[in-house]
Parts: sequence; C-alpha cells; structure tokens
Amino acid sequence: MLQKSKLVLRDGTSLDDLIIRESNEVSLRVMTDEELYKLEMEKIFAKTWLLLGHESEIPEVGDFIVRDMAEDNVIVARGQDGDVHVSLNVCPHRGMRVCLGEAGNKRVHQCIYHGWAFRPNGDFIGAPVEREKMHGNDVDKKTLGLKKARVHLYGGLIFATWNVDGPSFDEYLGDIKYYMDQLFCRTNRGLELLGPPQRFTLPCNWKVPGEQSGSDGFHTLTLHRSLMEGGVMGGTAESIYDQAPGMYGVDVSCEQGHSLRCLEAEKTFKMFADVPFEGKSTRERLELLAPPGITKEMIPELFENLTEDQVAQLATIPPQVGGMFPNILIAFIFAPRTDGGSSGALSLHAYVPKGPDKVEFVNYLFAEKDAPEQMKRDMLQNSIWNTGTSGVIEQDDADVWPVIMKNARGAVSKDMTLKYQALHGHERPEGWVGEGLLYPGFTKDDTQWNWWLAYYDLMDAV
Amino acid sequence: MTWITKSTAAPDSTTILRGLVSKKRVPLGSDIYNRLLGTLFDEAAALDERRIDDWIAMLAQDIIYQAPIRLTRTGPNRDRDVMRTMFHFDENYDSLVMRSGRLQKSAWAEDPPSRCRRFVTNVRVGERDTPGEYEVVSYLFLERSRGDSPENENTTAERRDVWREVDGEYRLARREIIVDQSVLGMSNFAVFL
Repeated sequence: MLQKSKLVLRDGTSLDDLIIRESNEVSLRVMTDEELYKLEMEKIFAKTWLLLGHESEIPEVGDFIVRDMAEDNVIVARGQDGDVHVSLNVCPHRGMRVCLGEAGNKRVHQCIYHGWAFRPNGDFIGAPVEREKMHGNDVDKKTLGLKKARVHLYGGLIFATWNVDGPSFDEYLGDIKYYMDQLFCRTNRGLELLGPPQRFTLPCNWKVPGEQSGSDGFHTLTLHRSLMEGGVMGGTAESIYDQAPGMYGVDVSCEQGHSLRCLEAEKTFKMFADVPFEGKSTRERLELLAPPGITKEMIPELFENLTEDQVAQLATIPPQVGGMFPNILIAFIFAPRTDGGSSGALSLHAYVPKGPDKVEFVNYLFAEKDAPEQMKRDMLQNSIWNTGTSGVIEQDDADVWPVIMKNARGAVSKDMTLKYQALHGHERPEGWVGEGLLYPGFTKDDTQWNWWLAYYDLMDAV
Repeated sequence: MTWITKSTAAPDSTTILRGLVSKKRVPLGSDIYNRLLGTLFDEAAALDERRIDDWIAMLAQDIIYQAPIRLTRTGPNRDRDVMRTMFHFDENYDSLVMRSGRLQKSAWAEDPPSRCRRFVTNVRVGERDTPGEYEVVSYLFLERSRGDSPENENTTAERRDVWREVDGEYRLARREIIVDQSVLGMSNFAVFL
C-alpha cells in the first residue's frame, strides 16, 4: 500500500489524484493548474540544481551572462577569484534588475535606479553619496549583497541551486553520473559552447517537454518519421514500424529522475550499418566509429578520463539521448550531413518555466574544445539543422506540445490521463557494468515514469 | 558584407548589425531597383503560397542563408548585439533542399501548414563590386496563422541579401536574417524568412 501524499490543493485534489501511482497515470490537469505551478516553483525550481550555461561563455574575470532559474533572473559571472558566481538579479534596495544586458564584462554592476553597486560575485560595494549612508544608518554592508546561489561546475556546465544545504551535485545526479561522465567528462579540455544559446518560447507548461526529456524514445518512430524518410536512421519509410530503428538498446535511469538512452550506433544509423564490430577491441571499435563529437586523436584521452568499462560502453552502446530532472534534455547524437560527412551534434536544452502556460526553450550547442575548427563548424550546423529553433527534428516537437497544452484545459479533457503503462521493469543485462535502473530491449515507459516519481517525491516533500 | 563565423560563446564575439554597406546606391524607381523589388515580392508569394520548388529555383547553388541570434547589450557594447557565432538558421543549398524535401513528406510542423503573409518593405539596393550582383536590404514582417488559433504568431527581421543576375533573372546568393527578438516568440522556424 502506497503512503498517501500530504499535498492537497485548495479544491481538495490530492497529489495522488494527479500522479496516480497505482495505475501509472498522470492527470492532464497537472499541465494547467496554477496552484500546482506555484508549488513547483517552490518545491522543485527553488530546490534542485538547474543548468545555467557553460563556463566557456565567461572566460575572463568580470565576464557575465544573465540567465533564468525558472522565473528568477540571475547574473552568472566570473569573479576576481576566477570562480563562477550566481547571484539573484534583484537589487536588494528597491527590487530593480541590477544587470540589464544579456552578456558582457563588468567589474561593477550598478543598478540604474538609485545606483547601488555590486561586484561580479554579488558582494555589495556601496550606494552613491557614501557620506549620507544611503544603504541604511545601522546596516552592515556585508548583509546587502545580491542573494547568492550555490554553484557547481560539472564538465564546465554551470549548475546552481537555491538549496544551499541540500544534496550535493553528485548526490543529485546519483547513479546516472557514471553514464553522464561519458558525455561531459571524457576529454582533457572538455566541451566548448559554440555560441550563446538559441532562445524561443512555446505556449505550453514546462512539464510537457519535461516529461518527454525523461527519455521518450517511442515518439521518434512516428513524430520524427521524416528521419526515416530522409534515410538518416536505419530502415525505410515503408518499414519504420517493422524495423523500429533506434528503439532497441538499454535505457538507464535513477530515482532522481534522470535518464539516458544507450543505443548501439551500428544498429541505429543506416550509414554505419556496414561497420563490423564483431570480435573487435574497444580501441578498434573507437577507431572505426568514434562517439559523436570525438576525433581519432582524442581517443587516448577517453582512456585517461574514464574507466575502461566506461570507454568500452562508449565504443559499443554510447548514451545518446536523455535528460536530467527536472528540465534538461540531452542529445549527443550521430548526425549525418547532407554532404555525406558526420561529426555528430551535441545539444542540451533547458525548458525554463515562464508561467503555467509558457516555457522558454534554451538550446545550448557544443563541441569538444580540442575539435578542429572545421569540425566545430560542421557540428554547429548539424545541431542547428536537427535541434532547436529550426531543427528538422524539434520543429515537430514544438508543434505537438502546445496542442497537448490546449487539450489540458477542457472541463472533460483535463481529467484525461497521460499513460505510462508499457513497462519493462528493471533488469540487468548480462555483462552490464554501470549501476542504476536498467531497461534493456525496446524503449518503454519506465524512465519517464521514474521522472514522474521524482516529481512526486519533490512535490510531496514538506 | 562579410560572414565570418567564430567558434566561441564569449561575449566579445558580438558584432554590429551594419545594414546596407555598398556606397553605390541603386536609386528607388530605377529599372534594376524595380526588378529586384519585383523579385522580392515574387519570392514572398512563392513562400506564402507554399510553392517551395519555385522558391528553391530562385536560389544560387552557393547560397549562404543564416539567421544569427540577437543579444540584449548595454553600455559601450550596446550596438554589438548580433551574435554571428550562433544561428537560428545556418544553411547552404543542400540543407535548404533537404528542408524543402522534408516539407513535402512527413513534416508535422507544417502539416497542417501554417498560413503565412510575408510583408516586405523598406527595400534599399546597392551595387556590389562583382558586376551583376546587388546588395538588397529589406524589412520583413511575417504573420503566421496556425491551426485553429485566432492569434497569429509573428516576427520582424531585417534581411541583408545578395542577389545575382543569372540569365536575366535574379538568384539569391546570400541572406542574413537579423531577427529583432533575443527570445523568439515564434514556437519554431519551420517556415523560411
């Protein structure tokens, strides 16, 4: 018997009525309810680690970018100490935004309203007309800095949280870290962001794209049919459902709600179908088919930065798509080009809530820092062609999500449910090394259901 | 006009908008100006009427078609707000053909298709050093109606083009689309600008 949730909305609806654990269903009402949205801001977005960018965006002391932790606008800056600091972009004096630009370099951030000034690390410097003590007669300047978030860099990715005493970043990642490291911590100099993110808004709740980022593999066959028609993935347009390209592999996830789909590259993409892997060593396999974004020259670095087992996985069944709870999608994919080449596309999205019915899609595109310039150029194009604003894959996602949102509003349709009843159940494949919840075979609903369970846990917490 | 692509996200990579660069203006109402204006109108009609093959036929094989992202900047850098290291579109002829081919199959983003009106105004034309090539700068206002929504999506942009005369017609050889929004209000760019 599952313990009842203590979370009850004003009209008497319990969290258990919305996230129905007995039958693995989620009420569509979760997408529109304003009370629930406000609770999510407090219980999820003010509590978990959130992605804000990459340190390659702010290489010099004083460099800053302005980003959003849900609806809280923050300054992400490199301080005098060389560290990355994240501070709330709200002047503690009268509530104005201190920094109005999106990016730049400043040693002093001065509010344009009354002139209170702050250092890149958020510390208060002073208010104009120092002798008049306009910051307060008996107020210690040390207490007047911008509100600071806790920061963690992971493979150069900038994460922050308001939960100063909460779980460490590694605790937040949990068992999925073993697999994430294969994407983000595999080379000596790491990833580079290829430019500031694409940003655009969609008229839907953040959880519509959010639950998909819990490794919804199945939608690819139908929504992204054009990948098969275009010959990008194995199989032909006529045999999509027979061959089900890209559906078989090992889905991994963990109780924190993160997940990754590990796919055998040779079976996923038509262009690699003739690459014979049988009887080959890890190094030989990598030479034949390096993971997306990796050059032959970087292969020795994989062995320096990862364990032998992790490299072996990268060589045979690399993690390619997935997500980090609550709002990050990961796509580190093989991306064949129209000119016949392939150097992969490395993309992360943050789905930033902007109200119950609006989400900002922030699309970060990467390459390995040590990749040759032409490869970076190719990867940027690959990523733009496939993901984000104009990406031929994600155009179609952006078409579906707002329609689901419309459907969540009707008096009757709001009580319809999202169903996660095609379950495999945890099963450790033979010879598998990593930990976590493992789902080998055809991709099913397990990882997405784990996403909702992670949501339930945070929402249920007092 | 230059299209330099630097691979970096650092803020010092921003550039200014620039607009029309050519010093040799083609006057309003002149024969060449009128023919280029007519070409822009024909192009907008081809796209609005979803005659995608007709549009592809207007492109030069060496086309570069890009939409850099726009940033909000302040202070001494306030005009350096075009980030030509990251794009909403970053296309060549083959990729545009690939996109047009997709539109004719299972591209759910445009099936059902959006109903678009492209309003093209403020057209300024200059000669380039290469004979037969013209720099054409225009404003674009795109209204896009989707599904049963009574609210149109829309966007505004400046387009910095190079059109090249080939066999008595003009072919689009360069297009840089300078969008005005740093955060797009349109849910995707499944339509061309």
